[in-house]
Amino acid sequence: MTDSAISRPGERERLTVKLGEIDWVLAALLAAIAAVGALMLYSIAGGSWGPWADRHAILFAVCFLAMIALAVTDLRVWFALAYPIYAVGLLLLLAAAVVGHTRMGAQRWLDLGPIHIQPSEIIKIGLVMALARFYHSLPARSAGLSWWLLIPAALILVPAAVVAHQPDLGTAILIAGTGGIMMILAGLSLRLVGVGLVGLTAVVPLAVMFVLKGYQRARLLTFLNPEADRSGAGYHIIQSKIALGSGGLLGKGFGLGTQAQLNFLPEKSTDFMFASLAEEFGFVGCASVLLLYAAVIVIGLRIASVAHSHFGRLAAAGVIVTFSLCVIINGAMVMGLAPVVGVPMPLLSYGGTVMMTMMAGFALVQAVRVHRYSEVTSGRGALL
Amino acid sequence: MFEPAFHFDEVNERQATFHRRAFLFGGVTGAGLLALAARLGDLQILEAGRYKVLSEHNEFEFRLTPPPRGLILDRNGVVLASNRPAFRLLVATDENVDIDKTLADLALLVPMDDARRARLAVDIANAPRRAPVAVVEDMTWEEFSRVNVRAPELPGVTADMGEVRVYPFGGAFTHVVGYVAKVNARDITKTGPNADPILLNPGFRIGRQGVEKAYDLDLRGKAGAKKVEIDVKGRVVRDDPGGDIPSIAGAPIRLTLDADIQNRALEVFGDNSGAAVMIDCRTGDLLCLASAPSFDANRFVKGLTGPEYKALSEYDRKPLFNKALTATYPPGSTFKTMVALAALEKGISPDTTHTCNRAWTMGGHTWHCDHAHGTLDMHNAIKTSCDIYFFQTAMAVGPDLIAATARKFGLGETFDIAIPGQKPGIIPDIAYKRRAFPKDPIWHPGDTPNIGIGQGFVSVNALQLAVMCARLANGAKALQPRLVHSVGDQVQPSGANAPNLPFPSEHLAFIRTAMASVVNDPGGTAFGVTKLDLGPIKMAGKTGTAQSHTYGAGSRSTKGAAWALRDHAWFICFAPDDDPRYAMSVLVEHGGFGADAAAPNAAELMRVALLKDPEVRARIVQPLPPAAAPTPPGPSAT
Repeated sequence: MTDSAISRPGERERLTVKLGEIDWVLAALLAAIAAVGALMLYSIAGGSWGPWADRHAILFAVCFLAMIALAVTDLRVWFALAYPIYAVGLLLLLAAAVVGHTRMGAQRWLDLGPIHIQPSEIIKIGLVMALARFYHSLPARSAGLSWWLLIPAALILVPAAVVAHQPDLGTAILIAGTGGIMMILAGLSLRLVGVGLVGLTAVVPLAVMFVLKGYQRARLLTFLNPEADRSGAGYHIIQSKIALGSGGLLGKGFGLGTQAQLNFLPEKSTDFMFASLAEEFGFVGCASVLLLYAAVIVIGLRIASVAHSHFGRLAAAGVIVTFSLCVIINGAMVMGLAPVVGVPMPLLSYGGTVMMTMMAGFALVQAVRVHRYSEVTSGRGALL
Repeated sequence: MFEPAFHFDEVNERQATFHRRAFLFGGVTGAGLLALAARLGDLQILEAGRYKVLSEHNEFEFRLTPPPRGLILDRNGVVLASNRPAFRLLVATDENVDIDKTLADLALLVPMDDARRARLAVDIANAPRRAPVAVVEDMTWEEFSRVNVRAPELPGVTADMGEVRVYPFGGAFTHVVGYVAKVNARDITKTGPNADPILLNPGFRIGRQGVEKAYDLDLRGKAGAKKVEIDVKGRVVRDDPGGDIPSIAGAPIRLTLDADIQNRALEVFGDNSGAAVMIDCRTGDLLCLASAPSFDANRFVKGLTGPEYKALSEYDRKPLFNKALTATYPPGSTFKTMVALAALEKGISPDTTHTCNRAWTMGGHTWHCDHAHGTLDMHNAIKTSCDIYFFQTAMAVGPDLIAATARKFGLGETFDIAIPGQKPGIIPDIAYKRRAFPKDPIWHPGDTPNIGIGQGFVSVNALQLAVMCARLANGAKALQPRLVHSVGDQVQPSGANAPNLPFPSEHLAFIRTAMASVVNDPGGTAFGVTKLDLGPIKMAGKTGTAQSHTYGAGSRSTKGAAWALRDHAWFICFAPDDDPRYAMSVLVEHGGFGADAAAPNAAELMRVALLKDPEVRARIVQPLPPAAAPTPPGPSAT
């Protein structure tokens, strides 16, 4: 650590110093996870770089460079852009809901000429930044219990509701979960948390019965009893468990996963990527990858904890919360512990927009780390 | 929004709360990850075995391979039914394939009319998932190549090589060997051998008639399996020859028939309708069991078209009908052998004479004969086939003793020759009349004379008459006919393992001598029409002419009558007459007089059999007489 050097005013604005302040261990862990993903994509394509592995690797490389560029961007810029990004994200989300491009039965994509964008991914980052921005200026007492909390509640629930309506239950849960946990981290009254949890347990069954779409309800009910519908909705869960279980301790070997190779495993390159990994590398491979994820989470939370600005703390923590929720929801889904909702395994699963979001999030975490001594709203250099 | 207010205690409080709660969050996340790891351990370590099995069930599939069907051979190993490779065209029932389009494309390459296309579309729709359906069963090499070249444009279509049953002699053996045909829904049972999934295999055939049906399970063999790796759509990704289970070929079945004799039988019959049965009269082996005309069994394997079947079933010569077993006819004068034997048994002397004036009257009814034979004894009555003599002999013997004698020679009996379809016919006695005619149960004296000449109630099939003749010729044993020599390695019991005939051998010898006279002595009914031309080898026989309908008041001769109104012609015979080896019966349906129509056919077939017998040949082929003086060379030499 070069705390002494970086604590000198002016010194920390130098690019070389900033680059040195990037957490390269974290960057290496992310690269390692993405590399495992690329290898697995190569394997399940039958030993071919196309159609997934090459694009996965190239996209990660581009995102990695972008992450470094964004990491050295002054945190005050991030701070200043928090609400605008959230606003743009929400507008795009609403636009997609009206004129969106339907793919796989859900209006998730906005077709802008050559680019297809998924506004729900932008709003994930936008929400984290907006909440951090909001709580940065909110006194501790108000963060505990006050009418002000209706604002973050609205910031969370509006996009969550729109995304759920698309319908994309997985992303909606992710948005609501991330937002909720950020509110708790920001100091939400624990009594209110308790009331909220009780309320949730009462509301969820009702929502399942009356709000969810047919296929979503089917997935939930199937999750509770996958054997009841072996060829229909239960098929995903059963085949995923077969892939995992048949991997055994050491796996079937690289390129030898029959469940994935022969397409018994559905969505093998995206949502069920982890099952492909489990089949070929077994318990040892899975546990190793889970350790990588755990390391990313620990390092991320530590970066959040040492940040001087409340914005930085909450922003970094928010990204890590999203990341953790993705890992745990996807893991539980693949292992038959949670219903099948479309949440990918971050950086491991194939999927461009999700990777961009995640890497943008880690760019924010790195920026928090690089600018951990900076305040964002006081003294010289305040942008707002 | 807010005034930036700096209350350091508050800032610190926010930071402290964040630290506490972030730490808590880290802990909860860690616990979540640990839970995932525990679940992984459960699935991947504790339950790995179970899931490995499930994975293999997904990955591998055993596809049944039909076993080669057992051959059917004649007594000398000549193949009567075998298998030949055939190119087949299969269409997989994959949900991604547009069946109608595929069939339309295929129709351009191989002959397929619209009706067939519609039927195939139904077959394919009804086929179980992943089971390919045979679209074309037996393609030519040219068609096969045409399809193969275009294979990339025909998704779901595969060409492979299967086997097709083939009957090299076409029709000659159809009534015995039978044929195989497509499996239909009624063949498949829930349990037992016909529950075997191999029956669902495209192109699998099941025995439908004759030996093919009776020994279907022996001929079928045991299906093997090909281990293949499949993807989720059931498409074969690659073969795994190491895991194949070889099929077990069906057992070959060797018949006692002789292909040369049987083929010759169909030739000599030509367009005539009838049957020929030949038995080895030392063993009971059936050398010939022919029914004419016949039909090509190979057409049935392919599947007969409607018009083809109609033509076969409507032809008045009835090719689909096995006239050797299934049809019964009055035996006519061939039955006189039984009447004569019964008379001898009764103690009537063979020297007893009766006088034939072409007519004989009893109880106000008059019976007729062909000729006025004058006064003759039993030997001459058989030789000239005098009806008047046997009317009176039958009256003297009575129906019950005649029937008992006939039954001891196999008449009225069905034999265990392994193939179905025998009709027992009728050997009437007093009890029969009581049973069969409840309105007129009394045996009238007028019923008896007709029995004496094998008419009236009497009816027999060609196999029974052949057995009768063989037992007469054998002279000792009540031979049983045998059709199947062996199934695989298992030799079937010989027909010679039979009890002795309960008749004195001199009575049997008397009948045989009389039968020899029929053929060899001038005045015998078959004299001159049954020349064997085999030197010392002579034949013995008995003609028979059976009424096919009741004559009106007019002439008894049916020579010029319409085919369906003519008499049935019979001839039974054995040879050599001094050391019998082969016995036979020949029926020519509506052939007219037995000596004219049936006897020459019998003689021709007997020649074939005798010439194939090395011992008989040794008797015929005499050493050349010592060479005469060499002929002087010259143009006049002949």
